[in-house]
Amino acid sequence: MTQSSTHPRPEVPPLASSALPARRVETLPGGMTATLVSAGVVPIAAIRLVVHAGSAHVPAGQTWLDRLVHEYLREGTQSRDAEAFASALAALGGRLDIDGDAHTTTISTEVPSEHAPAAVTLLAELARTPRFPAGSAKRLLEDLERTLDIAGSQPQWLAHAGFRQALYGDHPYGRVLPTAEDLAALNVDRARAFWSERAGLASTRLMAAGLFDEDAVLQAARAGFEGWSEGAAASVPPSEVETARVIRIVDRPGAEQTTLQIGRRVPAPGHDDYVAFEVLNALLGGSFYSRITLNIREDKGYTYSPRSSVSSRPGDAYWVQAADVTTAVTGASLREILGEIDRLRAEPPSEAELAGILNYVAGAFVIRQATPGGILNHLEFLDLHGLDASYSASYVTKVREVTPSEVQRLAQAYLDPAGMPIILVGDRSAIEAQVAEFGPVEE
Amino acid sequence: MTAMPAFALDIPVERHRLANGLRVVLSEDRSAPIVCVAVYYHVGMRLEPPGRTGFAHLFEHLMFQGSQNMGKMELVKLVQENGGTLNGSTRYDFTNYFEVMPSNALDLALWMEADRMRGPVITQAELDNQRDVVKNEIRVNVTNRPYGSFPWLEMQARAYENWHNSHNGYGDMADLDAASLEDVQAFFDSYYSPANAVLVVAGDVDTGQALDLARRYFEDIPAAPPPAAPDLSEPRQEEEERWSYVDPLATRPALAVSYHVPPRGTPEYYAMGLLNQALAQGEDSLLHGELVLKRGLTGEVDGGINFLGHMHNAQTPLLWTSSLIHDQDVTVDALLEAYDAVIDPLLDRPLGEDVVHRLQAKARSGLLRTIAGGAYPRFGVADLLAVFELLEDDAGRVNEIDARFAAVTPEVLLRTAQEYLRRSNRNVLALEAGAAS
Repeated sequence: MTQSSTHPRPEVPPLASSALPARRVETLPGGMTATLVSAGVVPIAAIRLVVHAGSAHVPAGQTWLDRLVHEYLREGTQSRDAEAFASALAALGGRLDIDGDAHTTTISTEVPSEHAPAAVTLLAELARTPRFPAGSAKRLLEDLERTLDIAGSQPQWLAHAGFRQALYGDHPYGRVLPTAEDLAALNVDRARAFWSERAGLASTRLMAAGLFDEDAVLQAARAGFEGWSEGAAASVPPSEVETARVIRIVDRPGAEQTTLQIGRRVPAPGHDDYVAFEVLNALLGGSFYSRITLNIREDKGYTYSPRSSVSSRPGDAYWVQAADVTTAVTGASLREILGEIDRLRAEPPSEAELAGILNYVAGAFVIRQATPGGILNHLEFLDLHGLDASYSASYVTKVREVTPSEVQRLAQAYLDPAGMPIILVGDRSAIEAQVAEFGPVEE
Repeated sequence: MTAMPAFALDIPVERHRLANGLRVVLSEDRSAPIVCVAVYYHVGMRLEPPGRTGFAHLFEHLMFQGSQNMGKMELVKLVQENGGTLNGSTRYDFTNYFEVMPSNALDLALWMEADRMRGPVITQAELDNQRDVVKNEIRVNVTNRPYGSFPWLEMQARAYENWHNSHNGYGDMADLDAASLEDVQAFFDSYYSPANAVLVVAGDVDTGQALDLARRYFEDIPAAPPPAAPDLSEPRQEEEERWSYVDPLATRPALAVSYHVPPRGTPEYYAMGLLNQALAQGEDSLLHGELVLKRGLTGEVDGGINFLGHMHNAQTPLLWTSSLIHDQDVTVDALLEAYDAVIDPLLDRPLGEDVVHRLQAKARSGLLRTIAGGAYPRFGVADLLAVFELLEDDAGRVNEIDARFAAVTPEVLLRTAQEYLRRSNRNVLALEAGAAS
């Protein structure tokens, strides 16, 4: 039996104002910046090199050259082969983590505090003198082919690639998965040239967060990076902003679910509307207690993990709602998603609903920066978008100033459903008729 | 420049037991104004009874559908509108519910968890809704996903003899369809008593105040006897087993190799943790060196001791499993020969001291990452405290993990490898690619 409780729900006192941990920014010889944040109580240091060299800098016809470079960064340095480098880092407790996006390649590790300077020395050695052994090329390219083959079988990957292609076309942001010809064009010389042209003092930032000896880390960085080449400042051409309603189906005969993505371009970080748009996103589909999630999950049971998000690059961003829905309710799910977008465009949210979302977005900002990795993610975001410490310091205040009418205005200005491509990865024979009401379905 | 001393892992741990049997663990960390409140119930995927497969997991969903003082999803609303984030999960041995909140919301978080510890108040419509959500979860994670059941569901179904360990904890659709509101209440009455739970508060709190609040909200929840623990034991495996199956969505074949591991808490268990580091963690690992770098049989070898977490957050029996995806022209025999080339020497002669030190450094660092990091700040430490209290009756043992790894000698590693990495303890599962082009 459920036991009755006599305790009334407690009131939550106002949140005491809290400052984010202080940042120390130093310029190293050659102009490279180091940003250090001492924070936390666990004796660990997260260290990250952010190199401004990403998939958007890859020439047409060589999609995934950046991924080949990532693979090659795991193949050791000029003075240590792959195994020796990995062992040296592991002896410090570190694992090598290589990641990348449209604009950057990141080289990261986390080590116990006392090893932070030695880890910086090793990461500098890797960034400056990667080995690029020609003998590994065949194996690494086979690995990429396997990765591509597997990605092509995963509906979420296909939906993401299809959506990017619909938004960006032939622009580098639209190239997610390579063709067989793209992969055939990749080789060790192109990988080495990509890195040596791009990576250098002007294109690289060092970031560290956690508990560590700041001066010793700076000393290791000065010694490790002294005399490195400058590196090329990277630019990416602007992309077309106009998109149109297209419905594309990637056929997966017999699929139990349809994996869908729908959305469009929105203001980028640094734009006056960006912070308020993050609030809109949390209210519409970007949180557990958001309208779309309450509707298609908690009311209808169409899906398990619907989610909207804002994906950004310098001067560019898009909003996207993703969900894996039961095949038979593909059309019904889209109707509800579009209905929620229309509702927000037609009427502002109530003060009470918005107040809850403002607290959520403000709280999440503070919570995300309570780990070393979370701090580095925020520093990387600021660097990528040319924002400074004032962005962080004023973020919570800006969130709290967002009004119901502003949310409605943003929905009207940026979320016209007529311009939204719809990508559906599922059983075409079962879903084509269901979605015909939303526009012409491409063959 | 002053050299930093090597760290000592010293997590503050305060333990209490309320009159109704609820165990309370408190850990202070004032470095950021946030707190994690977590409640762990000692029922998970392998503790649910036969005929009720998937109930532990379905029940987790229902715990968000309402209780005496909160309507459907009201707990989620209260967490969010007070600046927090939350989740719940069902693992082998427990089901957990947690919030990470700004620390001014501690009082509210404890009140909410106490309210739902008194029992769900849900309707047939809410049960039906969450049954549909769970079915979609199974589709997106398992049946509509290439490699969705690999290796965990497929390997545990074959490598374990005991039904509790081998059955699919996501549940048979027939059992899920048969679930009634009466079954839900009976499941709650059996497994969700205070004496079968642990409450952890970790973060920016005054522990004295947190204890007062825990007593205020939880101590008058009526006591009930905890459920009898099912027998989870497995017989010693005496012969190697090999299986294969077809994944209709997979485009490349895959292989998994599993061994039963030593009992939790023993020196051999920590040695097995170091063998996992030696074999499969990081790019200095033996399997990466042999299968990836030297032989080019795959691009990546995964490995671990617990399909649903790590070696510390599950009870034994468990399997150490290594898995990889490979090309059609690479045979299972070629892969097993490479595994043998790596594993056989571990049974032959002790590892060098320097290698063991590296394994210990990796294990220590991994522990620090677990404690400091994650998508939910302070949950990593809360999870460790909860599982050591739940599974070893002492959350304070979190501070002994490092010493337990440090105490493992080359001789213990050799002895452990000889018993647990022996060929007759091995289970080999080949996934055939049903969608290969």
